[in-house]
Amino acid sequence: MRKKHAFHYFAVGLICVVLLLFSFPFLWMLSASFKTQAQIMGNTGLIFFEPTFRNYVNVFKEHNFLKYIINSFVVAAGATVFSLLLGLPAAYAIARYHMQRLGMVILIARIIPGITFLIPWFILFSMAGMVDTYAALILSHMLVVLPFIVWIMIAYFEALPREIEESGLIDGCTVNRVFLHIVLPISGPGITTSSLLSFIFSWNNFMFSIILAGDRTKTLPIAVFNFLSYSEINWGGLMAAACIITLPVLAISLMTQRYVVSGLSAGAVKG
Amino acid sequence: MPYSWFDRNIKWIYTLPAVLFVVVMMVFPILYTVRISFFEWSMSAASPPVWVGLKNYQELFADSRFWNAVLRTFYFTFAALLLEVVLGVAIAALFFRRFRGKDAAKTVLMLPMVATPVAMGLVWLLIYEPTIGAANRVLKSLGLQPLSWLADKHQVIPSLILVDVWEWTPLIALIVMAGMTTLPEEPYESAEVDGASAWQKFVSITLPLLRPTIIIAAMLRLIDVLKTFDIIYATTQGGPGHASETLNIYGYVLAFSHFKLGMASALLVIFFAVVMAFTVLMIWLRNRLGESS
Amino acid sequence: MRGKTWKGRLAVFAVLVLVLAVMAGCSGRSGGSGGSGGSPSSPAASPPPASSQAPAGGGETGQTARPFEGRSITFVIANHPWGEAIKPLLPEFEEATGMTVNVDSFFEDQLTQKLTVQFASGSSTPDVFMYRPLQEGKLFFKNGWLEALDGYVSGSTDYDFADFSKAAVGSTTVDGKLTGIPIITEQEILYYRKDVLAEKGIPVPKTLTELVDAARQLHDPANEFYGFVARGQLSPLVTQVSSFIYSEGGDFITDGKASINTPEALRGMSIYAELLREYGPPGVLNMSWPQAIGVFAQGKVAFYTDASSIYQNATDPEKSNIPDKVGFAMFPAGSAGSRPYNVTSWGLAINAKSQNKDAAWALIEWATSKEIVLKTQKMGNPGARVSVWNNPESTSSYPPELVEVIRESTKGGVDHDRPTVISVGEAREVVGEIVQRMITGASETEIQTIADEANKKLQEIIDRDAQR
Repeated sequence: MRKKHAFHYFAVGLICVVLLLFSFPFLWMLSASFKTQAQIMGNTGLIFFEPTFRNYVNVFKEHNFLKYIINSFVVAAGATVFSLLLGLPAAYAIARYHMQRLGMVILIARIIPGITFLIPWFILFSMAGMVDTYAALILSHMLVVLPFIVWIMIAYFEALPREIEESGLIDGCTVNRVFLHIVLPISGPGITTSSLLSFIFSWNNFMFSIILAGDRTKTLPIAVFNFLSYSEINWGGLMAAACIITLPVLAISLMTQRYVVSGLSAGAVKG
Repeated sequence: MPYSWFDRNIKWIYTLPAVLFVVVMMVFPILYTVRISFFEWSMSAASPPVWVGLKNYQELFADSRFWNAVLRTFYFTFAALLLEVVLGVAIAALFFRRFRGKDAAKTVLMLPMVATPVAMGLVWLLIYEPTIGAANRVLKSLGLQPLSWLADKHQVIPSLILVDVWEWTPLIALIVMAGMTTLPEEPYESAEVDGASAWQKFVSITLPLLRPTIIIAAMLRLIDVLKTFDIIYATTQGGPGHASETLNIYGYVLAFSHFKLGMASALLVIFFAVVMAFTVLMIWLRNRLGESS
Repeated sequence: MRGKTWKGRLAVFAVLVLVLAVMAGCSGRSGGSGGSGGSPSSPAASPPPASSQAPAGGGETGQTARPFEGRSITFVIANHPWGEAIKPLLPEFEEATGMTVNVDSFFEDQLTQKLTVQFASGSSTPDVFMYRPLQEGKLFFKNGWLEALDGYVSGSTDYDFADFSKAAVGSTTVDGKLTGIPIITEQEILYYRKDVLAEKGIPVPKTLTELVDAARQLHDPANEFYGFVARGQLSPLVTQVSSFIYSEGGDFITDGKASINTPEALRGMSIYAELLREYGPPGVLNMSWPQAIGVFAQGKVAFYTDASSIYQNATDPEKSNIPDKVGFAMFPAGSAGSRPYNVTSWGLAINAKSQNKDAAWALIEWATSKEIVLKTQKMGNPGARVSVWNNPESTSSYPPELVEVIRESTKGGVDHDRPTVISVGEAREVVGEIVQRMITGASETEIQTIADEANKKLQEIIDRDAQR
């Protein structure tokens, strides 16, 4: 038993090392966001330096960052929610009825290189008068996000023990009811993970947003480029903006994980 | 049968909306691109595209820059993917226990993905800068020789692989962690009775049960690594020379720097075929392994 | 109500998908014209409407009663200090003309990408945009994306177009047509460390030979101090090596023939490469200006050649460790004298498909009027108007030494800093390859073969241009 404890502490120590390694460039960025450009270039220490808050002040004063945050949020949330609505039933049917060919068709959307879409979509959306609308951005981001959700959930649904569903069917439930009332409630961890990752994919999508967004719907990744210009890179501002961008996603991540673990499917979640 | 029409056709009702959506969004771009790939066109409004048949494809196949980009893409993809899958599964295994602050730890693990790729690209650019960057400073403090990193044609791809591994290993780890929640209890209980060690349990129970999930995570990642763009463009733009020019970068250059849309489209069509082939291979692999277990 | 329009849009969208899919599948016209049917307008055939109804930028505006009342145009700018300078002035213009100007700004690569996609789809927006004449001007114009501005300029009475510097206008002229109005000019200059040179008693280099000597003397890699730095990235380096080539008597293209394998051109390139290889910091191959000036501003390098326009990165105490130790000098003379580039790096142009060309021109006319150029130049944006340069007020915020250098550089300057072909992106890679191979230490005979090969490629690009 004591040996087991020792191993546990070793593992937790290892986790800390892993976390530190993976967050190092991020910490570097966080630290840089409190530096002047001369300090950033001069590689002054990570922690001990004279901090400046001007970068953060500038981000909110000179740029309409709140608007970009709202735009990004609407688009990412929209793309994720609609993709879940379309994707979850599809993934379930594909997993249960072994319709992998259809799964493949959906996956093609992610296989096609993004550049392929730029000109045709601009033609389409501008003819429909949809350039610079949330709808256009959500539709385009859904193409990135939907295949992702579908395939992660295919793997998840396949791995769920079949007995649970079968007991439902024996009780006389329809497949629809089994899916809605038995399968979905125990799929919390899968749905959370795939939604969070999808949200991040949409949140960071640059290629489609730059073509389809306009002044009204500009999203955060495009706004980040405000700090790069022809004769000047505002390193401090860029780092501050990049840090601010991560905050909403981190908050959402913490909130959903807590919700899933404590509420929706407490019984089914392990570890 | 008491089942209604709705229930009898449930598998189509569930799948068709998603499939239709995807098809509607894709059909025009695909046809447009395939069509333009047989033309020579600088996107001019003054002169229409000129039909050249297979010339764009022939020129690409005769272009050493294209072949180098193909090989480089494969090298980058397989090295990065292998590291990401191994490390990702290892991290997931490490997290497969109860400990305080697990949610927070998972969230920290997401940081590399959450931070905007463009900003992170610039951060890495400064970290890798040989004179003023942090990477060489670390090497020097360890008493090692400083490297050129992104500025050397042999070091540039490994340097970029490191960035990609840093950014995307957590994706695999998180997907695998989600898959772990579906694991049944019984095999572990009986293994406990047999006195199996933690490592034995992991190898003989956890890994086989997770294999379908791991393969799907690897497949999704494979598709994206093949298409890696942001970090390469933000740090080297394909340089030095063309030493880090992958297929996606070359396609972008052809379209938006050389303004050869026909050639770029041909490349995109080939590129699509390549990614498609690998994906089909992965799915086939998954089905084969699924049958054997 | 909102929901309805939303649904309506989606329905239109769905129908469009089907129609366009069928069109793309069958033959007929390409999607290039945006499926709008109709023949595309050829650039030569679009005569500029007389712009007399547009109010002149100067004093007249007040008298005409808001001629563009209720109209709105889109104006796309690059992320550039000029954009930051013009934005706060726009309300004044909107007030005077009655039009609404919707401004959107992008980083240069994204700007090119966005404009390309819009023009390739036959879009009528944006109406006015910033562009890089030497990088994209020729292709944009040949593609029929730019409105020729000669008629607008000659139709405008108070504008005084003759006031624009010749080299600047040369940069925006394609096939004898004016494709855009210059707004930003720049020259290649020599940045140096005043304190280091004074300490070692080394005079400011007047020739390239002296520069090489001085760089050698000051190069001290053991103490992380280097003699020289400049761009080493494949494409970015081409503009900065150009002045070396010109000053040795070469050029990228001479009399319509590729000439990057001539002894003159190769001499210029090899001096640049030698400086970077022997006296440069590590990692120059991945340096564009941000890294290069970053190393310089950290006080680790003695000499640096690049565009005059980025000087604030070295002199602003927020960004630089050596703000008061930076000296500026005329580009050193080679065997053919000192011949730095003196170019228009940014211009304003009108979309050939714009539906508001008169309003678009009114905006350009105002933004490039003497009065506004004085204002933007004062804020650190070197313009193209000679009269403004002659007004000491316009350069009051610049380091006096720099103003002198710029003025001197504009006299003998060359009006291009890269090969003037349609496929500039491709041509830059061809030239950059020679220089990068020199930097990595290819032998002289190897270089000749590489250069001959590159010259052949450049010639192919030129020949292809001739067919367009």
